[in-house]
Amino acid sequence: MGGVKAILRREYVERVKSKWFLFGTLIVPLFFLGLMLVPWLFASGREKTSRTIALVDETGVLHGRVAPRLEEAGFTVRLAGHGTEESLRAQVLAGELGGYLVLGPEALSHGQVTFVGPQGPGLVGGMTIRSAVAQSALEVRLGDEGTREELEALLAGGAMDVRLLQDVGGGPTEGDPQFMGVFVGTMLLYMVILLYAVAVMRATMEEKTGRIAEILICSVRPGDLLLGKILGVGSVGLTQLAVWVAFGILLLTLGLPALLTLRPELVDPTFIAAALPGLGQATLFVALFLGGYFLYAAVYAGMGAMCSTEEEAQQAQFPVVLLLVLPVLFLMPVMEAPNSTMAVVASFVPFFAPILMYARVGTGEVPLWQVLAALALLYLAVLAVAWVAGRIYRVGMLMQGKRPTLPELWRWVREA
Amino acid sequence: MNGSRTNGAAIQLEGVTKRFGGHTAVSLLDLEVPEGAIYGLLGPNGSGKTTTLRMVMGILIPDEGRVRLLGGPAGVRQNRLVGYLPEERGVYRKMKVLDLLVFLGEIRGMPRGDARAKAGDWLERLGLEEWAEKRTQDLSRGMQQKVQFIGTILHDPVVLVLDEPFSGLDPINQEVLEGIVREFHARGATILFSTHLMDHAERLCERVCLISRSRKVLDGDLRELKKRERRGLVAVEFQGDDGWLRGPEVREVRVSGDGVHLFLTDGADHQAILRRGVEAGARIDRFELVEPRLHEIFVRHAGALGDVDGLGVGEPGRAKGGTSWEG
Repeated sequence: MGGVKAILRREYVERVKSKWFLFGTLIVPLFFLGLMLVPWLFASGREKTSRTIALVDETGVLHGRVAPRLEEAGFTVRLAGHGTEESLRAQVLAGELGGYLVLGPEALSHGQVTFVGPQGPGLVGGMTIRSAVAQSALEVRLGDEGTREELEALLAGGAMDVRLLQDVGGGPTEGDPQFMGVFVGTMLLYMVILLYAVAVMRATMEEKTGRIAEILICSVRPGDLLLGKILGVGSVGLTQLAVWVAFGILLLTLGLPALLTLRPELVDPTFIAAALPGLGQATLFVALFLGGYFLYAAVYAGMGAMCSTEEEAQQAQFPVVLLLVLPVLFLMPVMEAPNSTMAVVASFVPFFAPILMYARVGTGEVPLWQVLAALALLYLAVLAVAWVAGRIYRVGMLMQGKRPTLPELWRWVREA
Repeated sequence: MNGSRTNGAAIQLEGVTKRFGGHTAVSLLDLEVPEGAIYGLLGPNGSGKTTTLRMVMGILIPDEGRVRLLGGPAGVRQNRLVGYLPEERGVYRKMKVLDLLVFLGEIRGMPRGDARAKAGDWLERLGLEEWAEKRTQDLSRGMQQKVQFIGTILHDPVVLVLDEPFSGLDPINQEVLEGIVREFHARGATILFSTHLMDHAERLCERVCLISRSRKVLDGDLRELKKRERRGLVAVEFQGDDGWLRGPEVREVRVSGDGVHLFLTDGADHQAILRRGVEAGARIDRFELVEPRLHEIFVRHAGALGDVDGLGVGEPGRAKGGTSWEG
């Protein structure tokens, strides 16, 4: 076991110390952060003046309702009297004003409004202005029937409550927060498993092509070597995941409230809360990640031992990547009907289980025994694959030259 | 150094055969390396030296026969007491020199602290202390080879198995490594090394095993071998006609710098040649049984096995005979 520890430590330390680890670990959260912040930064910088608009109300009744609505959406509104249009035009040209709105008689009858500015109000800005005017006009014309909230609800397109009868097992539909959470989770599983399994293959190939394998194999049992390598790279993966999760928590606890106060229309906190996995699901995620990673890492390690060049490895990878892509293709039908026969059977196949079982549990009621059975099968498969891979590893690491054919591989497994 | 002693042989091979596909790499090899010996495994490229050493280390498993290392079957447990320098020497290119050495010590069961201290000492001794914190890829090939050598001996092994330890090094560094090997020998370690450089074998070895075309052709104490082989080579200086040199006893006549070398057939009596010379009236200034060089012994025995041309087996295009691989 001393050998496993030394191999594990080397694999972990050398990787964590590398520039690529730092880069990869920081770039992902920064990417997501950027995805959230860029529109806001972009907006706040440019729109300081362009979001300041003047309002010329010829109807005399609309500005009291339109102005607050626009202010709520982030505009700064200045009321202007009749006949000031010439001076407003000058102010717009001077860059002191983002534009001005003219509410003529048509505004009250048709919701028709005129925007005058150096450029259009933009897609969202235009929609905000139009709906503010149209809603205000409707309110004025409907008089005082009903409260403002009631009117708003009506105008927003109403709402529908869906009540599910037990055991019907309908999956959630797209746009559901739960759906988003599961989808992001499975994609993360797919990415991380593939990323680190391939890292194990590269590590193996480095030792093979760098001619280090011989010295390792005579000092450490091949099984220990394989185990140390997989655990080492896996620990790097977990470290990276931990950094990401910590970053995510930081973002949700500190960044999100800050963002909420600045641009409330960008994020819906209830949506995000519903998309986050519960404790049970998070545990399942880790168990599936580890199982899936071990399984694929063992396959990839064996493959790295078989190949002598990068090109060979690329070709040999193809069928294995297919094994990982297949469940992603099944993802939609499985999420639509998580308890269909197809979904149940597919989620028991060890190579598919990490992704499909997570998707099933996330979208429907899955009996506990099925989850446990799938996990048991997954980990049994890990043992079997690791045994075969270890034997291929032992022979392959010392072979240079062409990739073995299938019958040759079989001989390696038998004779090692 | 006196960890596990066994009676007699540190390394023992009995009737060992290894085949790769249709090719037989090693055939029915018996080999016994006594404890404390410096043993040379000699042979041309492709003769099965590396395969033999890999079987000693348990990296390859023989198809037939038995390998014992320090009294047990070859394997990881035994290997912790052995320093093995493979022919294919690689390093983790991105690792720092000291980190690499600590790692190599660790996988042989050394505590980290010990490995670090020892590695520092050896780096200093081999003049590499400034390179300790450099990545191995920044080192020259010769320096890398020295680092690998340190990695081999770091854990104070009682047996050294070295595959072509001196190839690729300049004479000065060859001397340095030879010195270290001698030190281990003086401390009682057993050393088995392969080489195709006969000079080194001649300088270092007490015993040699010559293999050619996957078979053993000669095995034994180097000095005895030489004494035994002495009957086979005669150096002659003379004046007059050279017709008397040729006869049934003489296999080959070769003109060398200081005279003529006669290679005798097995069991031939050199006195018969001398008598013939005297009868022929030649003026003979020197007639001496010469201790042959290892190279000549090898060429002769590899030749006796079949054909001398077969020396470069598996490597078409190589020059004939032993000279092509003699260093």
